[in-house]
Amino acid sequence: MRNSRSLAVAAIGVLAVSALIGWSMPSAAQKRPSSPPTPARDINPPVAVCNSTPDTIPDPAQPGKRIAQPIAAKLLTSGQPCQQVVNTEGLLDGNPLGNLQRGFDFYSWLTFIAMNSPTDGKTIGQGPRPGGDAFTKWEDLANFRPLGDVMLANGAKPTWGTRIVPPECKRLDGPNKIIFHLGEEAFNQPFKTGPLIDQDGNFALFDILMNRPMYEFIAENGLYSKQGQEKFKGPIGFPPGNNPVAGDKPEPGRMGAIMLKVSYRILDPEKNKDLIDKFHTSDALIYFPGPPATKTGPACVEKKLGLVGFHVGHKTRFAPQWVWTSFEHVSNVPDEAPDGSIEKKLDRYNFFNAKCTNDCPAVNDTPPQPWDPDTSLKFKGPYRSQVVRTRMLPGPVIDEVAKLNEAFQGLLKGTVWENYMLLTTQWPSNRACVQEVQKLEQEKKDLMTVIDPTCAPAPTYLANTTLETYSQGKVPLASSSCMACHGNATTQHVPATASDFTFILEKAQSARR
Amino acid sequence: MTGFTRRKILTGAAATAAGAVGSANLTTQTAAQTTAADDADRALFIALSAALTGIAKERLSPAVDPIQINRQYFAQAKTDPAFDGLMQIIRADSSNPAAAAEKVLNSSDSNIKYLGRSIILMWYLGVWYAPKKLENFNSSPPKLPYPPPDKVISPAAYTQGWTWRVAQAHPMGYSELLFGYWSKEPPALDAFIK
Repeated sequence: MRNSRSLAVAAIGVLAVSALIGWSMPSAAQKRPSSPPTPARDINPPVAVCNSTPDTIPDPAQPGKRIAQPIAAKLLTSGQPCQQVVNTEGLLDGNPLGNLQRGFDFYSWLTFIAMNSPTDGKTIGQGPRPGGDAFTKWEDLANFRPLGDVMLANGAKPTWGTRIVPPECKRLDGPNKIIFHLGEEAFNQPFKTGPLIDQDGNFALFDILMNRPMYEFIAENGLYSKQGQEKFKGPIGFPPGNNPVAGDKPEPGRMGAIMLKVSYRILDPEKNKDLIDKFHTSDALIYFPGPPATKTGPACVEKKLGLVGFHVGHKTRFAPQWVWTSFEHVSNVPDEAPDGSIEKKLDRYNFFNAKCTNDCPAVNDTPPQPWDPDTSLKFKGPYRSQVVRTRMLPGPVIDEVAKLNEAFQGLLKGTVWENYMLLTTQWPSNRACVQEVQKLEQEKKDLMTVIDPTCAPAPTYLANTTLETYSQGKVPLASSSCMACHGNATTQHVPATASDFTFILEKAQSARR
Repeated sequence: MTGFTRRKILTGAAATAAGAVGSANLTTQTAAQTTAADDADRALFIALSAALTGIAKERLSPAVDPIQINRQYFAQAKTDPAFDGLMQIIRADSSNPAAAAEKVLNSSDSNIKYLGRSIILMWYLGVWYAPKKLENFNSSPPKLPYPPPDKVISPAAYTQGWTWRVAQAHPMGYSELLFGYWSKEPPALDAFIK
């Protein structure tokens, strides 16, 4: 679908008809052979493939109408989107919001498939492990780098591609094992709202990663240390992704900055052996650095982790507030029904006891203290989280996503990936506001003149029950909204400045003097 | 956005206090009306609201609108017994919301007149003041209770009041402005209202 028709479709989308603001190709003057300038290093280089498949296509039977893009096998190998391709026209007559939402949700599924495809180039679901699982692209250090490997002790400069194996982990190391640096943010949820405890009594674990364009922006500008952040002049603006542009000012496609937050439950190879082919798993070496990061350590333990949450932020053209994609494992928690009851559809959930009838833990309550795990990663005491997915999305969005999930899960049937579902996608809905923000970013001005730099997130609230368990709801500021929350993110130095929707820069440490 | 200025807001507010002759034909809506009819009424309600408040209807109800506060306000206004009488005025001349607003605010039927005022306050404050209570309050000296009882319509309504924008400010405890905004002059008025 990477053809001129796709580009035309994109161009008529309400977001895509905006003036193109991007990073242009080198001009002819820059190419003069007599005095070739040294080109600046491109931290957001052109990519070979931008998946620009739209969620709908023109209806050949009814001119002017659109029909759904077939959810077919070709989508499994169509690549990763560099930006959303969305359209106000679509399956819903007179409902531009609904049509745009579906376009973003379709983008999210394409992103999920591309990022979770095997890093060896095979098709998703055709890996060597149970359920066709495999070592994925985002786990490969050639593509993504964990936060702990970027914001180093003493504000040291990180190096792309290096694998940092702590001494305590070396005896356990092996091929395709991920190194998981434990810090508070790895077991305690945002704003220190508490850990999440699965039904086997294990702590859920969280990790943050970034792709190379995001990493390079940090490295190039010295933002990996407090001192570097202090020296950095001007507003922080990570590079956006864009599809290729034809015409008078052609541009190649670029991926732009992507950050990823994942959540895991611990799987016991024996006790949970009947579950392992239901999850994407990672063999992880959990590193406890010791105080102050962890009470225990330094130490290293090996665990098999099952992926339960997958949360992507992708800065793209026409979404300078980033596009926020959130997936979960289908057996995490039950949903709250429209009447407020709990829709128990499974016998067993990862974070909810469906059989509990008496003296059950309060729903969506935080565990009792203390919250610091020791190397067993077992919660001390009998407490198990009792989590329900609060009904916080509009009904039409829930219905639309359910249909899209059914179609994509059907495509992935028989693999571990059929057990994952999209919650939805949050995106900036105020087009005029988006254009203003893009203009200011291009002029390297801050967003102080914009009254809502989030540009009206749609939907207003979105929470992943494994990552934002305790901030579900529909209360302004208090309830989880990816963009509203990340819009408050800042740098680490004093005085702090806005950090372009990422909290990653708050993890920078002070350089040794 | 059409000519939304402080003067217009003040004009709209002053109009709520004006009295004039006029009557409305009160009818009762049946509960079994279709959704399409309800949507049509909601569109008229938004047009009338734009005329009452001086805020363009495209701002009260954007084409792509994830919050859709207009639905909550429409549902709230419908709970008032005079709502259908008010809607009859705009239905009778849907092409001229400004004239309909004048009729509402100058209606001899105080139920309709004060409902118009409640609708203005709802858009500006996100709060519902029952029209009867407003009417009681509009005396010299104002009848107790003082101030008249109110109801914040919803958490979303709390954040969406236009009065904050007109004041180039934000509701207490809720701001969408960029981190550090408190150390600078607020953006220009146009940034808030256009």
